[in-house]
Amino acid sequence: MKEKILTFDDVKLIYHTARGETVATEHLSFSVEEGEFVAIIGPSGCGKSTLLSLAAGLLSPSEGSVRCLGSIGYMLQRDELFLWRTIEKNIFLPLEIKKIGSEETRKRARELAIKYGLGDFLDSYPSQLSGGMRQRAALIRTLAAEPDVLLLDEPFSALDYQTRLNVTKDVSDIIRSEGKTALLITHDISEAISLADRVIVLTARPAHVAHTHILGFSETDPLRRRENQQFSGWFELLWKELNV
Amino acid sequence: MKNLTFSEEHRHWLTKRRRSSALVWGLRIGLLVLLLLFWELSTRFGWADAFLVSSPSRMIATVGTLYREGTLFYHIGVTLLETVIGFAAAVILGCAAALLLWWSDLLRRVLEPYIVVLNALPKIALGPLIIIWCGTGSKAIVFMTVIVGIIIVIMQMLTAFLATDKNKLLLLRSMGANKFQILKKLIIPSSLASFFSMLKVAVGMSWIGSIMGEYIVSRAGLGYLIVYGGQVFKLDLVMTATVILCLLAAAMYFFVALLEKILVKNADS
Ligand SMILES: Nc1ncnc2c1ncn2[C@@H]1O[C@H](COP(=O)(O)OP(=O)(O)OP(=O)(O)O)[C@@H](O)[C@H]1O
Ligand SMILES: [Mg+2]
Repeated sequence: MKEKILTFDDVKLIYHTARGETVATEHLSFSVEEGEFVAIIGPSGCGKSTLLSLAAGLLSPSEGSVRCLGSIGYMLQRDELFLWRTIEKNIFLPLEIKKIGSEETRKRARELAIKYGLGDFLDSYPSQLSGGMRQRAALIRTLAAEPDVLLLDEPFSALDYQTRLNVTKDVSDIIRSEGKTALLITHDISEAISLADRVIVLTARPAHVAHTHILGFSETDPLRRRENQQFSGWFELLWKELNV
Repeated sequence: MKNLTFSEEHRHWLTKRRRSSALVWGLRIGLLVLLLLFWELSTRFGWADAFLVSSPSRMIATVGTLYREGTLFYHIGVTLLETVIGFAAAVILGCAAALLLWWSDLLRRVLEPYIVVLNALPKIALGPLIIIWCGTGSKAIVFMTVIVGIIIVIMQMLTAFLATDKNKLLLLRSMGANKFQILKKLIIPSSLASFFSMLKVAVGMSWIGSIMGEYIVSRAGLGYLIVYGGQVFKLDLVMTATVILCLLAAAMYFFVALLEKILVKNADS
């Protein structure tokens, strides 16, 4: 069996505000194996982003434990590129923050960018790139520090449909070929099915795992998966589970 | 060059735009000339008393006199120096204070009401105190300039620092950034635009501060010339000094605007 790189064990998280407290997750338990691509779907506001913040160590659980054995890379809904930095400088940002910027790590990051079609834009500013390219740049920034686990919080939802399908394929290719472990949050059922090895369905707030499914597709290309006959079967099932 | 590839309609639009901006400039300058002309003529023809309202030609003569006496650049220099030093001090100290308040949540929450009160206080009320503390020289005027400007610098910069995008903060923290890195990589660069709009406000504030300071204490400078001219009823002197003040304030404002154009354009073209 492969190593469990990320484990949530009976996690409870309470947000405190002046108006009161919100229990975002309770009895939340699941784990992610090394090299696995897991998608998490759940009703809006159920605590999905909270789950990622817990995984990234930005929040500590009120009860239970979160264990992550590797380094993480966080990718958000919007690209969050810094407008005053060139694409290259944006991609180097995690290297600067983690103080691991060397000739070698920078070269590797630059090569990633070139390999995935951003070579001509390294000296451009984010405002000169299309939405899809910016999102790709954001992924390469996430990968630059070579994280073991990628945490993706609805990374495609700000894109229009056409761009979204293409970028989804790009991102899937990149993550698969780099052999990364990924935890993807999405509210889009078809996106979850077209990308993941396993889908976890969360309940309404306070979130815990309602169902988990190993999809069992042989192919990893998201566009081809959409044509697969199992696709609509999974869609119907997940749709029902989300709308109980 | 580039124009050749544009459509007929676009070129037409460009011409129209250029014409309309030429019209605006023409009217601006025309208005000024007309105003000066009317001012001059109304004193020549005795519609207005030149002793009370002065006139462009008398102002030019006054500038000539001051120049010959060798005091023109002395007074300009004194006021300009006080203003620029006060401006720089207010901006530097104000930004430092804003950084400190951003850094420490506790400090910010404790000091918030004090800043609000200091902002509301008319600084001229501190005049007597300033004279006693700093004497009646340039030091007092610079001090006045600083206290008039600094609160607005602090408030505007703090607002800018606190308005930093929450998701970008989250992103940096997920990379393991410490507070100093967040400050350096995100807070400061993303506040650059606010910094320049603050500078423009601070320019105005520092002129208010330095002239107010000269009203209460000075023996030199444009503010002194205005007060002195008023006391001895030399309105030519008052008007001349006021106009010079206008030109200097405008020059300083445009200098800041130019700096902004150069720096901000480089930052996110
Ligand atoms: N900083 C906070 N303080 C207080 N309550 C919060 C905070 N962040 C989130 N919450 C609450 O916790 C719950 C879960 O929030 P979270 O952002 O994790 O949900 P989500 O599933 O990501 O939502 P969405 O589908 O809108 O992205 C929500 O009810 C939200 O109002
Ligand atoms: Mg969310």
